[in-house]
Amino acid sequence: MKAGKVKLIAVTTAALVLATTAVSSSQAATKPAPFSAGTVKIALVQNSGAGDYFQQWTNGAKKQATAIGIDMQIYDAQADNAKQATDMETAIGSGVKAIIVDHGNADTMCPGINKAIDAGIPVVVYDVDIRACAPRAVFTSQSDELLAAAVLAQAVKDLGKTKTVGYVNVLGIAPLDRRHIVWEKTKKAQKWTQKFFVGKFTNSVATDNAQLVDAALKANPKISAIFAPYDELAKGAISAVYQNKLQSKIKIYGIDISNADIELMTKVGSPWTATAGTDPNAIGAGVVRVMALKIAGEQKTNEVSFPGVLITAKFLKANKIKNMDDLRAKLPALSMSKAASAAWIPAVKF
Amino acid sequence: MNVKIKAPGSEYVARDFLVKYGFILVTIISFVLFFSSQETFRISTTFFSMLKYTSVVAITGLGITFSMAVGGLDLSVGAVAGMAVTLSAMTMVVYDKPAIVAVGLVLLAGALIGLLNAFLIVVLKIPDLLATLASMFAIMGLKLVPVNGRSVSSGMMLEDGSTAPGKFTDGFLKIDGGQLGPIPYAVILWMSLTIVCWLFLTRTTWGRAMYSVGSNPEAAMLAGIKVKLYRTLAYVASSVLASISGLILASRIGQGDISAGNSLLLDSVAVALVGTSVLAMGKPNAWGTALGAFLMGVVITGLTIAGFPYYGQDVVKGSVLLLALVFSFTLSRKKSRFISAV
Repeated sequence: MKAGKVKLIAVTTAALVLATTAVSSSQAATKPAPFSAGTVKIALVQNSGAGDYFQQWTNGAKKQATAIGIDMQIYDAQADNAKQATDMETAIGSGVKAIIVDHGNADTMCPGINKAIDAGIPVVVYDVDIRACAPRAVFTSQSDELLAAAVLAQAVKDLGKTKTVGYVNVLGIAPLDRRHIVWEKTKKAQKWTQKFFVGKFTNSVATDNAQLVDAALKANPKISAIFAPYDELAKGAISAVYQNKLQSKIKIYGIDISNADIELMTKVGSPWTATAGTDPNAIGAGVVRVMALKIAGEQKTNEVSFPGVLITAKFLKANKIKNMDDLRAKLPALSMSKAASAAWIPAVKF
Repeated sequence: MNVKIKAPGSEYVARDFLVKYGFILVTIISFVLFFSSQETFRISTTFFSMLKYTSVVAITGLGITFSMAVGGLDLSVGAVAGMAVTLSAMTMVVYDKPAIVAVGLVLLAGALIGLLNAFLIVVLKIPDLLATLASMFAIMGLKLVPVNGRSVSSGMMLEDGSTAPGKFTDGFLKIDGGQLGPIPYAVILWMSLTIVCWLFLTRTTWGRAMYSVGSNPEAAMLAGIKVKLYRTLAYVASSVLASISGLILASRIGQGDISAGNSLLLDSVAVALVGTSVLAMGKPNAWGTALGAFLMGVVITGLTIAGFPYYGQDVVKGSVLLLALVFSFTLSRKKSRFISAV
């Protein structure tokens, strides 16, 4: 089942890349309607625009939108689900050509998404699993299974079997739930003993989770690793580890990558050993490209998945990588500029 | 002979006009400003979705109006609304009970929390702010116990490994999602509650008794008013109103989001405070709160559409509140009577 799904995603992604390459070689670079007629207005309805990850995501989306000739109105609900539902309604009423929904709850967003599609406004959703309740929307995601699998494979290599571990995660959020499944599987296969499982989602995730992990570490200082599958959670875990002076004993495995993350990982004696990531800029840009293809009538499937890569602290240090720019230079796979694109869509740099 | 004779007190005329109508003017000006500059703002669905969004803060603000009327402040309203979200999700999703049971339980729980707050304040004599601060934390924590700190959503896996049998019923989702003509139910609920609270506070002996308890409890006591009873009533009203706004929130979110209601307290205190300056009332009042909420709704929606960043919005919110307080305290010649207990 699991392997089947991962394979399916890999195939979809491959097919997508092939399809777009085919398009780019055969088609002239003139913009299709309605882009040929001028600026197209769309809305981006975000659950939260705060934090390194979301800021970069939004930056990539904005750059790609401008390059295509899209005027993108951004609604930021500041992690308030009720506000995001209202923003969606405002966006539908605002007369935009299309709406991108970035994060949120499926139960909360589906009524609005369906309402938009009924009104003839196509919707592209990033990282909210609406496949069951709004199948007509385009579902995009980074492949969380592959991300978690990549970083946990490194953890298995570093740690070995029958270790005691800690876990920081918040369930009920689609990508974190998908990473959770891989964690459960790896934990069982490696016979790791999970000493604690803490985590909560707030508007200041790192600070609030530092406190939780701190308490958990006080009770269980003798663990060998912590898995925190989201960089803000990992940051919380790191500051708790430093606070308890356990950085030489505990390895932290996170997911996601940003300038701040690189700085934390390359710091001397940092417990953050490995992460797996996509360039959030590239994802944001990719989602906007999917939206553009959808508006132009060129996006045929309702599911798009962006792959990720493993990044170890060792690799970062060996290549003297200080920030995302360095990383993009050393790791070209990050840019994904070929995924979900066409000849008329200009590539952007971040 | 060209001596200008100034009518006695004429400088007060302009000032009194400003104090009395200043806030209504600010509201009209901001509305017109956004209406003329933002195309999206002119669309009627934007107007109604704005009112719908505002209704939650407004109804919670009505609760705050009650606690301020008796000279206190109920800090637990946001937590009560959050509790309502989790409780209704538990009832419908985990226990698979109909919406009416969820609504009944939420209102009952709201009333009980109100009584508990009143007990802390009236019987145990803990100052309002401190008592409701404590109950705020207690409620925020307690609501997470039965759900193990997780948001309740349909089809979730329960502790025993089975799948939650129920879901948010269509009827329940109508509380926020449904509308009568173009007017959402939530807005109708807000308006009805505003009228009821307004009638209660201004047209009944009980309401007037509440205000006298708030402005001078000793005098009220000497006048034979049952001060403890009215303070109890006010806190029960406050919690029940907060739980009603929690029901709207739950219906809007469609799952037992554990972070729901977190931002509600400060916003609802702000709209109730802004409300005190409307028509130079100098005291918390139902229509003032409604207008305060409306203004906040206009400003937030207008700025959002204009693409103003959210931190800028908080600055504007703060300035609006400050302006209202200047009307109430600085410019007004009438002594404002509220939150005397603070």
